[in-house]
Amino acid sequence: MAEENPMIDYLFRHQHGRMVAILCRIFGLEHLETIEDAVQDTFIKAIGAWRNELPDNPEAWLTTAAKNRLIDLFRSIKSARERHENLTVTAAIAVDQLFLDDEIADSQLRMIFTACHPALDPRDQIAFALKAIGGFSRKEIAAALLLKEETIKKRITRARKAVADKIIRFEIPQGEQLRIRTIRVLEVIYLLFNEGFHSAQKDLAVRKELCGEALRLSKMLIDNPLTCNADVQALFALMCFHSARLDSKINESNEILDLRTQDRSKWYFPLVVAGNDMMNLATASGEYSVYHYEAAIACEHLRAQTFEETNWKDILKWYQKLEALNPSPFNLLNMAVVNLQQADFSAAQDVLQQLEEDQLGQRKYLYHGCWAEYYKRTGDAAQAIHQYDVAISMVPNDLEKEYLLKKRERVKAD
Amino acid sequence: MLVFLGADYATMGLSPDEMQQRMGKWFAWNQKMQDAGQVETGHALDSTKVRQVSGPARTVTDRAGSEVKELIGGYYVVKAADFDAAEVIAADFPDYDLGGTVEIREVMVFN
Repeated sequence: MAEENPMIDYLFRHQHGRMVAILCRIFGLEHLETIEDAVQDTFIKAIGAWRNELPDNPEAWLTTAAKNRLIDLFRSIKSARERHENLTVTAAIAVDQLFLDDEIADSQLRMIFTACHPALDPRDQIAFALKAIGGFSRKEIAAALLLKEETIKKRITRARKAVADKIIRFEIPQGEQLRIRTIRVLEVIYLLFNEGFHSAQKDLAVRKELCGEALRLSKMLIDNPLTCNADVQALFALMCFHSARLDSKINESNEILDLRTQDRSKWYFPLVVAGNDMMNLATASGEYSVYHYEAAIACEHLRAQTFEETNWKDILKWYQKLEALNPSPFNLLNMAVVNLQQADFSAAQDVLQQLEEDQLGQRKYLYHGCWAEYYKRTGDAAQAIHQYDVAISMVPNDLEKEYLLKKRERVKAD
Repeated sequence: MLVFLGADYATMGLSPDEMQQRMGKWFAWNQKMQDAGQVETGHALDSTKVRQVSGPARTVTDRAGSEVKELIGGYYVVKAADFDAAEVIAADFPDYDLGGTVEIREVMVFN
C-alpha cells in the first residue's frame, strides 16, 4: 500500500468550518445548505488538483478556491441578492477583509452562537454544531453520538429550518443576551465533550475528535475578548484535565479502567500544564462556576501520584461547594463514592439514603453500583452481589457492563 | 493507460475528513509511481459539468456529472511492460472501496 502524505491533520475539516462561517456571513444563514455544498465542491477540486503535486500552502489554496467559488455563488444566487437588502450591504464590505484570521474567528463565533440559539431544539444544537462548525458528516456524527444517521439527518434539517424560519441573525449577541447565550454555548460545548469522554463509542479516535472539537470551540471563545470569561476558562481547564486521562481510560483489550487501575504514567502531561495555566486565569476574579469546581476535582485526581495518595478530603470539599451552587443527585452520588474511599461508611449510607434511583435517569445503575461497593466494603457479600445484579440489569453500555460483571465476580470469589 | 470509472466523490456525501484521506491516498499513489519512473502523464477530470456531442447533427447536451452512469474521473498514462505490470500499478488505485473501477488499455503506437 502506498504511503500517506504528511498533510496537516483535519485541514479539510477545520477549513470547512471556517469557509462555511465566512460564506454565511456574506450570503446569510438562509443559504447555509448551498454554502455547505459549495465548500464540499472546493475539496473535490483540491483532490483533483493536488493529485500530482501539493501546493506550497494548502490552506491558502483552499481559501482562494473558496473565494472563487463564492463569486460563482454570487452569480447563482443573484436573485436572492435582490430579495435581501442585507446581502448587498454585507457584500459591499471588501470580501478579502473577511478572509483575515480575526474575521474568520469572528465568523466562527457567530456560527457557535447560532448553533446555540434558543430557537433551536436543544437536541438539535449539537448535531447542527458538529455539522456546520465541526465539518463532520452525518455519518460521522451518527457514529460519534451513537444515533442513527436518519436521526441526525432529521435533527440537522430541523435545525436548519429553525434557523431559516426564525430569521436568526448571524451575530454574536450583546450585553445581557451575550451573558445568557454564553451559558448555553458552554453547556453545548461541555455536552459535546462528554459525548467524547464518557461515550460508549469504542473507537478511541472518534472520541478524541469530539473532545478535541470541544477544546477548539472553547479556545475560540477564550481568544475573543468579547466572549472570554472566567467560566469558559474554567471549562477549558476542566476539559484539559479530563482529556489528559483519555488514553488511560481503556486498556488494550478495550476494558474500562477506573481511577484505581489506570496507568498514571500514561496521563498526558502537556494537557495538565495547559489546564493549570488556564485555571490560574480562571480563578483570578474569585467568582466560581460549576466548571471551576469540577475542574478543581479533576485536578485533585491528577495531582495524586498514586490512587492511594488521592486527597479525598479536598475532593469532598469541592463536591460540597458544587452541590451548594448547583444541587444535583450526581453530586450526592459522587460524594457517597468519596465517603466510601475515606472508609466513612455511615456518611456514605446517609448520602445514599437521600437518593432515589429514578433521580439518576439512565445512569441509575451507578446508584446500585455504589450501594454494591458499600455492602462489599462493610462485609455484606450477599447484598453486594444483589446490588451488582440490579446494576447489571440496568446498564445500557457494554463496556460498563463488563466492568460491573468483573466486580461482581471478584466479590463472589472472595 | 489507466482510466478511472465511477466513484464520483461529489455524490457520496463524504465528510471533509474522509475527502482529505482520499486526497492523501491519491497523492501517495502518484508519488509512488513517480518514484518508480512510471508516470508519463495524467489528469483528474472535473465532473460537475459534462458536455456531450453526438449524432450526425452534432447534438449538444449539457449534463451534470452525476447524471452520467459511468463517469470517467481521470486517467494516468503509465509505462508498463505488459497488462500484468499495469495491473500491479493499478492495485494501488485508492477508490476500489467506493465502487471505482480501473480500466487498463494499451495506447496504440504506430511506427
